This record gives sequence, structure tokens and C-alpha cells, in this order.
Amino acid sequence: MSEPRVLVVDDEQQILRALRTSLRAAGYEVDTADTAEGALAAAALRPPEAIILDLVLPDGTGTDVARELRKWSSAPVIVLSAVGEEREKVAALDAGADDYVTKPVGIDELLARLRAVLRRTAPSSEPVIVLDQLVVDLQKRSVTVGGEPVHLTPHEFDLLRVLAVNAGKLLTHRMLLEDVWGPAYVGESNLLHVNVSQLRRKIEPDRARPRYLLTEPGAGYRLVNPADL
Amino acid sequence: MSPLLARLPTRVVAPLASLAAVAIVTGAIELLKDHIPVLSLGVLYTLAVLPVAIAWGMGYAVAVAIASMLAFNFFFLPPLYTLTIADSRNWFALLVFVVTAVVVSELAARSRRRARESALLAEIATSLLERGHVSLELDRIAAEAARALRVDAARIELGDDRPRADGTAEPYPLAAAGRRVGTIYLEHPRQRSAAARRRLLPALASLLGVAIDRERLAREALEAEALRRSDAMKTALLRAVSHDLRTPLMAILTSASALARRDLALDRADRDELVATILGAAERLDHLVGNLLDLSRLQAGAARPEPDLWAVDDLVVQALDEIGQPGPRLDVAFLDESPAVRVDAHHIQRALVNLIENALRYSPPAEPVRVQVSQTEADVLVRVIDRGPGIPAHELEAVFEPFERGSRTGDVPGAGLGLAIARGFVEANGGRLWAESREGQGATFVLALPIAQVPAAVSK
Repeated sequence: MSEPRVLVVDDEQQILRALRTSLRAAGYEVDTADTAEGALAAAALRPPEAIILDLVLPDGTGTDVARELRKWSSAPVIVLSAVGEEREKVAALDAGADDYVTKPVGIDELLARLRAVLRRTAPSSEPVIVLDQLVVDLQKRSVTVGGEPVHLTPHEFDLLRVLAVNAGKLLTHRMLLEDVWGPAYVGESNLLHVNVSQLRRKIEPDRARPRYLLTEPGAGYRLVNPADL
Repeated sequence: MSPLLARLPTRVVAPLASLAAVAIVTGAIELLKDHIPVLSLGVLYTLAVLPVAIAWGMGYAVAVAIASMLAFNFFFLPPLYTLTIADSRNWFALLVFVVTAVVVSELAARSRRRARESALLAEIATSLLERGHVSLELDRIAAEAARALRVDAARIELGDDRPRADGTAEPYPLAAAGRRVGTIYLEHPRQRSAAARRRLLPALASLLGVAIDRERLAREALEAEALRRSDAMKTALLRAVSHDLRTPLMAILTSASALARRDLALDRADRDELVATILGAAERLDHLVGNLLDLSRLQAGAARPEPDLWAVDDLVVQALDEIGQPGPRLDVAFLDESPAVRVDAHHIQRALVNLIENALRYSPPAEPVRVQVSQTEADVLVRVIDRGPGIPAHELEAVFEPFERGSRTGDVPGAGLGLAIARGFVEANGGRLWAESREGQGATFVLALPIAQVPAAVSK
């Protein structure tokens, strides 16, 4: 029984049914829960490899569930959010959720996200991170694109380091600001936008169409390996 | 009490009482004069002057003062039983009595006026605060002011227009705290009441100013509330569209995209399950879109009824038909003779379907839902009675608001539109719809429609 277990949490029976059947057919073992309490109980009883979590639950929010889960589980969490729930979505990501999809979502996108979060269950601890042409050497603090050295300011490098270590994962504005500049700067989104744009100028072959450093509107940024997409 | 009625008894009572007062004091002095020097007893006549001055004013008071002096002179001052006022002591006594009479009666009259003015202002303040609409109270206030200012008629105009000369009426500005509130027109104002005007008009202006401000604030609050409600309505609509439309859409999209993929190991049962999910979600979507359309037609006033004569039983049966076969869960009680109503059958049917489906959704599966037809003198009532969780008293009205769902709805899905639509349709047809409930005992929705007169040709 090596099938990865996925816990699906949603209070809508129709969505649970659709996801249960589809995910099972895609080779996952599926548990379901329709309340926040049920989700935490199920995750404790049969620890899942990944969790798909609706933001609106009858007895709480997905954010509360994510925060609670993070105290004792490192299983990646994908948040199911709808238009109009942006704030709640970011709160859930800040609370420890790994990624989100916007309802309504097809099974293809959901399976792709699920594969991606399962691939990176732990942040990379390699000293050198290679994303296609982009090579980040954490020990030497050096960066090359296509073999060409790139000069980054200390903040730009720290920003790239955090993104690279969590390659593929969506990092919220708050997380990035807190990691790179410190907790006092979590409100300073401009700082982040400026540094991201400078970083893009230095590492992206085409700044108009970023391949590595992607914007998730209203949520945060994500560094990806273009070869994976 | 009208002035005439008030004056008549005074004419009779005041002279008699004045005479009695003088007689009583005279009697008292007669009793006391053996023990106390009679000259010092003369001061007792002020006791006759005082009450008369307070009660009936200066005229009677002065009369009593003179009568007292005469009585004192006649009965007690030598030579007894003659009226001579050659003695300077008599003049002095008369002076004391008259001064007392004038001073006291003036004081009393002034305090009576003040009291009347205060009462008037209090009355105006109360009526303005209680009834609220300044413009509707103006005539009453003007009449009261006319009485207090002793003029035949008064009229108040609000606003800071320049006062116009208006026939025999004289305009006086009503201004408070440097602000012109309006104008009061007084018919034949007397010079003597200038002081009263100076006291009364600014206070009246302040009161009117406060009332006008209060009215404006209340209006603004109402507008703000309406705006807030329409904002809340938009937010609720957005949420409904976001959540209630996307949930079935999501179920459809997920299921359909899974069915479309060749690499998923879907067995027969899985496929059936996905197809059933799609059908269920599509039905829910259709229901919701229908409800949204009904609601927007009702709110736009586009749901104009096409009334026709119907037997109520007919309408109930049509609604039951549409709901399908809930079998033994519905317990229906008709009247022996079905009253007729003049309504749009489609509208009332929609309302009934929403009410009955609602009841079925919230009742435990083992409990029947009762549909009961009854009648009062003017109305026919259709009651839909469930054994669900009931509705708390403070939510009995709120559940009819669009997108509002009661706190006891638990995990029953819904957008909160059914009851709003039901009420909209019922009211568009001249009926009423309300909820009754005892918490924990289920809820009863009562649909009342006016009974229609059946033309003889039809009832034959």
C-alpha cells in the first residue's frame, strides 16, 4: 500500500464526492472530512501525505485548521479558495498552507498542484540549487544564469535564497519580508516589489515574461524550475 | 379648558372669596383684640390680601386691600363703627395693604406667566421629540404660542427666507445661536407682551432648531442605513455568486474533467458516481439561477401578477405536484369547502413550493411536514408546519431577507433566497407571509391571501 494518502476537507458533499472519486482513480488513497474538527481528527488518526482544504467550513476557517495542523504536521496543505476570499486565502498561506487553487478547478490543475507539493515535502538543504539555467550557490553566495555570473545586492541574494530553498512553493509577501528584512518590515510590500523587479532584471532572460520568478496575484511569489512546467 | 369656561367661575368665586377673606381676618382680630393691642393686629389683613393676590391678580388684591382698610377702620379704630380716615395710621395701613397687594399680585402673575411659558415650551419639546415631524407639528405649536403670547392667531414658517409683511400679521424672526430657523407671524401683537416675546421666541427657535437638526440627522441615518443595507446586499450577492454558484460549478468541473482524462483508472461505479455528481450539481445550479432571476424580477418590480380566480386547494395541489413525491412526509389538511382567491397561480405556487421544500429540508426525516388550509373572516390561511430546529424570535423577520439564513440552519445548504422570494410573490398578490415559531419546536409559516368574492355565475 504505497499509495499516497490525501485528506480532502470541504463541507459541500458534491465537491467531496467529485474529488474523492477523481483522486482515487488518479492513484491516491482519499480520506474526507466536512468540518474543521473532523479534519484535525482525521489528520491525527491517519496522517495524510497532503491535505486539500476548503477555506469556509461550518465550524471554523481553513486558516485555523492550517495553523493548528502546522503545530504537529508537516504535510503540505493546498487551500481551495473562491473569488472574494483573497484575504482569507493569504491568511491561510501565512498560517502555513503551501499553495492554493481557485474554485472552480479542474482535476488536471489540482493533480498538478498535488504532485508539486508532494515533490517538495521538505525545503532543499542542498548547498547548490539548480533550476534549469539558474544556479544558486548558497555557500559561496553566488548566482549564475546560463553560466554567466550575476551580481546581486545582499537583500536580493537573501530574497533569491529563500525562494530557491522553497523552490516551487508559494511564499506570501509577509513570509518573504519577515525572512529577508525581519519582522518589523512585514507591512512594507513596496520593498519587496522593488527587489523582486530588480531580481527579475538580473535573472530573467525576458522581464516581460518571467520564467523563474512568478507572481501569484494578491498572494505572493514563487520560484519555479521552468523545465518542470 | 377654554378661556371662557375658566373665566366664568372666577367672576363668581373671586369676589366671594375676597369678601370671605376680609370677613375671616376681621373675625380673627375681633377674637384677638382683648389680648393684643388692636393696632398691631391690623397687619393680619395682609393675610387676606396675599392669597387673593396670588390667586386672582392685582384687581381683586387692591379691592381686598381697600376693603381691609375700611373694615379695620370701621370695626376697630376709634371712633368705632364710623368711617374716618383722617387718622394718619389709617393712611399708613391702607398704603401697606395696597403695596402688598400690588407687589404680590405682580410676582404671582409673573410666575404664572413663566410657568405657562415653560409648560408651553415643554409641551412643544415633547411633541416635537415624540412625533418627530416638525413640519406636521407647526400648526399646533403656532396655536400654543399664540395662546402664550396672547394674540389671536400665529403662524410659523420654517427656513431663513426674509419675512414678508402679511396683512395684519407681524413677522418676528425665530433665531437661535445666530442661526435663522424661521419666522413666526403674530396677528395683532400687543406692545405689552414684548417681554414675553423676548423670552419665548428664542427658546421656541432653539427648540425648532434642535428638532429640525434631529429630523435631518434621522433622515441621514436612514439614508446611511439604506446605503449600508444596499452595500451589505451587494456583498451578500457577491458571496452568493462566489460560493453558491461556484460550489456546484466546481463539482461539475472536477467530475467532468476527471471523466475526460484517459489516464485515470475510473471503473464503472466511479463513472456513475461522477455523472450523478454532475447531474446533481447542475440541478442545484439551475435552481439557484432560477431563484436569482425570480428575486431580481421581484426587486425590479417586474413580477407583475396576472390574477385569476383559483380555489386554494388547487394551488396547494399544484405546488405538491411540482415538489414530486415526498410520500408520507407530507400531511395535508384541506377545508371542506375550498375558499377562492384572486391571484397569479404561478406566483403563489412558487411561494408554496419554496415554503414546503424549506420545511422538508429542515425537518428530521422521520417527522412529517403539515400543510393546513384554514380561513378567517377575510383571509384564507395556508400553514406550513415543520418539526425542525425552529427560529429564534429575533430572527422571525430576518429570515425573509434575501441571502439571510437563520442561525439554526446547520449544514443544510442554501443561499437564503427561498423565503425572500416566497414573501415577494405573496405580497405582490396582496397577501401576507410570516413565520411563527417556538424555539426547538419547529417553525410555522403562514401564508394569508384575501378571500375573493366568487361571482354567482362561477359558483353555480
